[in-house]
Amino acid sequence: MKLNRFLNKDGTRSVFATLISILIGLLAGAVIILIVGLVDQKLGLNEAWKGIRLLFLGLFSKGQQAGRLLFGFNSTNIGDMLFRAVPIIMTGLSVSLAYKTGLFNIGASGQFLAGTTASLFIALKMNTAVVAPWIVWIIAFLGGILAGAFWGAIPGILKAFLNINEVLACIMTNWLAANIVTWIFEGSGLQCTEGTKTQVIWKTTHNGVATAKMGLDKLFPESQQVDGGIIIVIVIAVLVYILLTKTTLGFELKACGSNRHAARYAGIKDKRSIVLSMAIAGALAGAGASLYWLSGSTEFHWQTYLSLPGEGFTGIAVALLGACNPIANIFTGMFLSTLDVVGSKLSFYTGYNEYITDVIIAVIVYLSAFSLLIKTWLSKKFKAAEIKKIPDVVITSHGPEMAKTPPVPANTGKEGNE
Amino acid sequence: MEQATSEAYPYVIEMLHITKEFPGIKANDDITLQLRRGEIHALLGENGAGKSTLMSVLFGLYQPEQGEIRKDGKVVQIKDPNDATALNIGMVHQHFKLVEVFTVLDNIILGAEDTKLGFIQKKEARKKVKALSEKYGLSIDMDAKVEDITVGMQQRVEILKMLYRDNDILIFDEPTAVLTPQEIEELMQIMRNLKAEGKSILFISHKLNEIMAVADRVTVLRKGKYVGTVDTANTNKEELSRMMVGRPVQLVVEKDEAKPKETVLKVEGLTVPSKLHKNDAVKNVSLEVRAGEIVCIAGIDGNGQTEFVHALTGLEKASAGKITLCGKDITKASIRKRSLTGMSHIPEDRHKHGMVLDFTLEQNLVLQRYYEPQFQNHGFIKFGAVRQYADKLIEEFDVRSGQGPITKARSMSGGNQQKAIVAREFDRNLPLIVAVQPTRGLDVGAIEYIHSQLVKQRDEGKAVLLVSLELEEVMNLSDRILVMYEGEIVGELDPKTTTAQELGLYMAGAKRQDKEVKAE
Repeated sequence: MKLNRFLNKDGTRSVFATLISILIGLLAGAVIILIVGLVDQKLGLNEAWKGIRLLFLGLFSKGQQAGRLLFGFNSTNIGDMLFRAVPIIMTGLSVSLAYKTGLFNIGASGQFLAGTTASLFIALKMNTAVVAPWIVWIIAFLGGILAGAFWGAIPGILKAFLNINEVLACIMTNWLAANIVTWIFEGSGLQCTEGTKTQVIWKTTHNGVATAKMGLDKLFPESQQVDGGIIIVIVIAVLVYILLTKTTLGFELKACGSNRHAARYAGIKDKRSIVLSMAIAGALAGAGASLYWLSGSTEFHWQTYLSLPGEGFTGIAVALLGACNPIANIFTGMFLSTLDVVGSKLSFYTGYNEYITDVIIAVIVYLSAFSLLIKTWLSKKFKAAEIKKIPDVVITSHGPEMAKTPPVPANTGKEGNE
Repeated sequence: MEQATSEAYPYVIEMLHITKEFPGIKANDDITLQLRRGEIHALLGENGAGKSTLMSVLFGLYQPEQGEIRKDGKVVQIKDPNDATALNIGMVHQHFKLVEVFTVLDNIILGAEDTKLGFIQKKEARKKVKALSEKYGLSIDMDAKVEDITVGMQQRVEILKMLYRDNDILIFDEPTAVLTPQEIEELMQIMRNLKAEGKSILFISHKLNEIMAVADRVTVLRKGKYVGTVDTANTNKEELSRMMVGRPVQLVVEKDEAKPKETVLKVEGLTVPSKLHKNDAVKNVSLEVRAGEIVCIAGIDGNGQTEFVHALTGLEKASAGKITLCGKDITKASIRKRSLTGMSHIPEDRHKHGMVLDFTLEQNLVLQRYYEPQFQNHGFIKFGAVRQYADKLIEEFDVRSGQGPITKARSMSGGNQQKAIVAREFDRNLPLIVAVQPTRGLDVGAIEYIHSQLVKQRDEGKAVLLVSLELEEVMNLSDRILVMYEGEIVGELDPKTTTAQELGLYMAGAKRQDKEVKAE
């Protein structure tokens, strides 16, 4: 009985649907690896088998010995995976929040860039000899959030006041951000002067600013990258979930997203809600950028030929795969960053190119669009058993009415023979 | 099974013992419907009685679990709408399926174009459509774009679409819901013409007057079950409504004399610009509504009522005028402010304004008061209180749905959606109720209920401003009638002394009182 109710829950079905898309995606990846292995003379069946095992267990790969793969707990992999999940969970949250409030935020890339610029500038330009690094960190983090919110609010304002489609406005703000960021960093004096690197900005550790490890370095001692960012992300995801499901503000934003006219009728300020939704979405993407760069373990590499950061678009995959549920986004984000780790293992230990994981991600994202179909299919499966029971309930709830229904007049059957 | 020749067999379509189940409900339970050749057969039932499901089965959109369909006495399998079309079954849907930017002629031939070498042969089509429209008295303008013609003409286009395809079984799904009284009369005549030409018509409706006027026989459904089939010649409205609702229904509202008290709403010289043309949609309208009376704005659709209500409730901006509610000037106030000052609003379009269809029933029930301290604490929704409140309203106003408070509003029947809106607005207990077509698309049972509730609200001392297009509703319910024509109030009538005919003249603009209700 309890199990049945659990299986019938909408959320349960969403989770199953997502898991099924992931499984099909991985299987498709395995098939691709197999085919490529069989076709390519250099690879062969043996390499393909290695590739398939890495695809499923790459996160637990411990290297290889005499051509045999070893598996086990690998704190480097898991730590790196958690770190790489930080920005994409945040952009995923950004897309999810917008989606739940009726907006499609394709502008997470631009908001991410805005957050990047603001937090890197603050973290590298403020004098840490005067201000304590942790205060600089907080200011830089808040700066990134505000910059993202500002950048997200622009398409929101255009949508609310001029009824310009937010997708178009987001695409424009994305490219605006790409141009502006290039321009700003060109003359910033923040370029890294170490080694032969060009067009690279100092890591924030150059100025002594870095995210606190929060004990995660003890848990994953070999990972250079992992830090408290992932903990902050999980807290934010929970906050977003609470905002959307438990608060009157979330109620207003969702009402407005679902039916702007009805929201207005109920006295909700529809324009304000749209701008606010986009601003919060932008803030989340901006916060993702801040957490990523303020970690101090990666360097920002801007390109004078324009390109948008992939985090914005991976965020869409994270959101869709998690049915735009903020909590689910934590897991889908980690899953996609796992594939990222798997990709590097594949190119390291086998003859396969790491980009094969991009193919797999693409398959999964396509399937996640189908996850609604899978969900409907699951609903049918479970409902089949339900039908037989529920009509009784309906009848009893209107019991006296139903009982009074007069029987079918006898003449109906005979009428055909008149 | 007897092998009747198609001419001798009296029934063109028979649906025998049809049962169709959906999760949680038996939408059709052993329903039998037999359509005679050349008759107008009405299918009567409340919202959610299973009429639409039965028609969807006939159209192959659903497959029944039990039962069979026969055409001319032969069992047929209808797997999809194409099968239905092949059997010469055509349907005019309640919401027209027309391409707005195409011309009338293009819409009629769309999907059934005659082509020569890939070119559409419009000349032939034009001739055929012209012949059909003359034969059945369906006046249309073949070269007008659908977006420019009236709803009544759009409906005639839909009918011609069926005739163009040589359909001889015609289904009309609630065809009068969108029409003015004049257009309804016209449609009735068209249906009689079609019948005279040997077409068989299934007429889905819950309006008893129309059924009595035009149908030969009536099949009544209630809650998915077959109640009976009767000849209209041997029955009356009271019996039909009893069959439909399952109990005797009060067709005329019982109410005492109104005892109007202080003025609640005062509108002075309200002018609202039109979105469609340069003229003002509402021109210098002044009116007063007092506590304890129902004032009705009557008029044919599109004479500025919608714009007036939008300006009054704050959905649109007025360009001039003053609105005073409970002594406070709310001319420039926000929607929320107006609502808090004492205005509840049953909107005209329940899907656009009345409900968030993707929200649950309980969320919709608190849509106007989620921000009140009883439902939230520091911005956090009190789910327990919301559930309790929703349960109370559902019980009190008898709102029926599949899963109670957690039902998605979208999945509820129109009547129950409307009941939910009415429940939400009445329970706020505010001095002014603005009710716009509160019974649109509802069945007798629900109409009776909402009317009695409106009278009850009046008797409790509320000021009720009712906007209605239904003459009967206007005459029955109101204590004072204001007629709106082309954005102006052209007359104030007393329902006790006026007649429907006189009211009709005012509504059509043929008569007006010079004594305008002027401000100052």
